[in-house]
Amino acid sequence: MDKKHVIDLLPDYLDQVLDTVQKQKVEAHLKQCPTCAAELEQLRTLLDAFANEETAIPSNRVEANFLELLEQEKRELAKVVPLNSKQPSIKSGWGNFLKIAASIAMLVGSFLLGQYQQERESHVEIAALQNEGLELRQTAMLSLMESKSASRRIQGVNYIDEFGDLDESIVKALTDRMLHDENTNVRMASAEALEKFTASEIVKNAFIKALKVEKDPGIQITIIQTLVRIQEKKAVMPLKELMQQDETQPFVKEQIESLLPSII
Amino acid sequence: MKEQTDEIIMAKVAQGDLDLLKILFKRHHLHVYNFLYKMCRDKMLSEDVTQEVFYNIMRYRASYKNGRFVSWMFTIARNSLRRHLQKTKVNHEDLDDVSYRLIENEEPKEDYTHLLRALDKLNPSDRELLILNRFQEIKYAELANIVGSTEGAVKTKVSRALKKLKVIYFENL
Repeated sequence: MDKKHVIDLLPDYLDQVLDTVQKQKVEAHLKQCPTCAAELEQLRTLLDAFANEETAIPSNRVEANFLELLEQEKRELAKVVPLNSKQPSIKSGWGNFLKIAASIAMLVGSFLLGQYQQERESHVEIAALQNEGLELRQTAMLSLMESKSASRRIQGVNYIDEFGDLDESIVKALTDRMLHDENTNVRMASAEALEKFTASEIVKNAFIKALKVEKDPGIQITIIQTLVRIQEKKAVMPLKELMQQDETQPFVKEQIESLLPSII
Repeated sequence: MKEQTDEIIMAKVAQGDLDLLKILFKRHHLHVYNFLYKMCRDKMLSEDVTQEVFYNIMRYRASYKNGRFVSWMFTIARNSLRRHLQKTKVNHEDLDDVSYRLIENEEPKEDYTHLLRALDKLNPSDRELLILNRFQEIKYAELANIVGSTEGAVKTKVSRALKKLKVIYFENL
């Protein structure tokens, strides 16, 4: 008799995906082995439970919203038709450009072109977003901000102009980008987006926190100018500290030195 | 219209025939929703994310690369869900968010079957594999695609997860 247990083959046996040889082997073994037979029964019960589990049904709003989004996208597509005629040349230009860019490696230009393309795209996309419910726009923006691609994240950040009042979740997402995004450009875009919302305590505190953690001099300058503009007293200490630090760039120090007195 | 494969339809969608997305939505939105709902047990969140998944399929249609549509769709779904869950977690840690606690307290829901309760006790990656493999009937090769692993590794993991689940299931019966 075959002493070797067949436990590992049992799921496939129940799913009937074993070949004939294996199937016969399992069946022969099951006749002689109470352990495996018991195992089979348990597994059968478990897999039956999977099979009998009911399908959950979402509410109608999922389909309704989806259909609405689809119609919007179609309308946008129709509007863009005159633009479409130009697009092929741009696309092939983009392809060639990528080839060149790849050979030059780490080209700043690719960022600029990305931004240019994004601006074009975002016009279309923002238009598409305009009629959507607020909640959906937020979802779109938030999900863009979580994207793997830095340019998508920047695009998400730039949607900020679409919102008059800032929802708390958007503020959190933006401050999160400003403080923690690995990409300098995304942090910069977030800082610039948040500049307009310094009335919020959360935003103010985020700027102060950013002052302590940000290492990029360009963003440091933006932060410093913002904090000075709003006369944030709580920023005075961190600013002084930043000025003392060795790794702070000389021109950042100069900036602080010249602006600090205007807070006090 | 004859039954066309998801892949053929999606390829046409990618070329701009947006209306065909309705077919894909009809075919698959319950799969997506059920995957999400069994993963997170939150109806509202699952509905939102289902919607987001199809929105992203539409929006990023040009990035569809002719692979198995279902794999692509579930890849998008699990990424969206993870983003949403992470967001809730981060908010909680950083800012002691009130709404998060509300969601937390909402639970024990009526219709938990014994199987779902047992599944909830597995770690998320085991749970995800079993839900995709047993509920959505995703084969190992595609499963490997979705979770970014190899077929052999996924098969072993599924088999182990099933064993763990079996123990939990019968322990608490």
